[in-house]
Amino acid sequence: MKTLIKLALVLVPSLALSVTANAHDPALHVKKAEKADCSKMDHSKMDMKDPVAVAMMKKCMKQAKKSKAKMEQGKMEHKKKKQDDHNQHDH
Amino acid sequence: MKFIKLTVLLAILGAGLAASIIYSGLVNVAADEPHGDFVYWLLETARKNSITNAAQDIEVPDLSDPELLLTGGSDYEFMCSSCHLKPGQLESDMSLGLYPVPPNLSVSRPAHEHADDKQLARENFWVIKHGIKASGMPAWGKTHSDERIWAMVAFIKQLPDLTAEQYQVLTAAE
Repeated sequence: MKTLIKLALVLVPSLALSVTANAHDPALHVKKAEKADCSKMDHSKMDMKDPVAVAMMKKCMKQAKKSKAKMEQGKMEHKKKKQDDHNQHDH
Repeated sequence: MKFIKLTVLLAILGAGLAASIIYSGLVNVAADEPHGDFVYWLLETARKNSITNAAQDIEVPDLSDPELLLTGGSDYEFMCSSCHLKPGQLESDMSLGLYPVPPNLSVSRPAHEHADDKQLARENFWVIKHGIKASGMPAWGKTHSDERIWAMVAFIKQLPDLTAEQYQVLTAAE
């Protein structure tokens, strides 16, 4: 019986606290470093005199360049690793 | 002579009354209870005129460079959007909880509040740089250069016309 009371004393306040902490969506407090979603951009409909359109193009081009460079670096590393493995087998 | 005596007496009484209100603890400072109409008008009028006056001589640089939207966009997303919202968002914890309510910068200002574009840019720059006392608006000028603040001003100028998709691209991390 005593253990039950002790358990209730611990559980009730902690439950109450956790309910208040979850009253609003905690995801709202998380700042995610999202990548630009360039998939919905229709280049043909973009007015290149509009600073918003130009800025969006710049952002997406930068992002595409970065991911291309990353992919090439990955390929190079993979090739190098393969060659190293091959050399080790030869010895 | 009688008039002076009466004025001094009234001034002393007024000061005494003000002091007793301040020290009594009766002034409600809770942010979830709005000011009365008169106090709200008094503070709003003082705020608006103070900003207009302080910002009037600021020189506005060219804000048309698209690059400004990228710098200003990521700063806006990180520093401002939780209170001043973004396209498609109607409220946040901060916009609901702060008093005075932070303006929603993702929608156009009501017609009667329209200053000309340059004056609006000056005022936005001043507010971002210096903040506003007892309102929750920080003075970003303590940690950010004027160039970065002007970039935010350029972004805020475009913000009411942005779609949620455009906002996402402009403000995303690089």
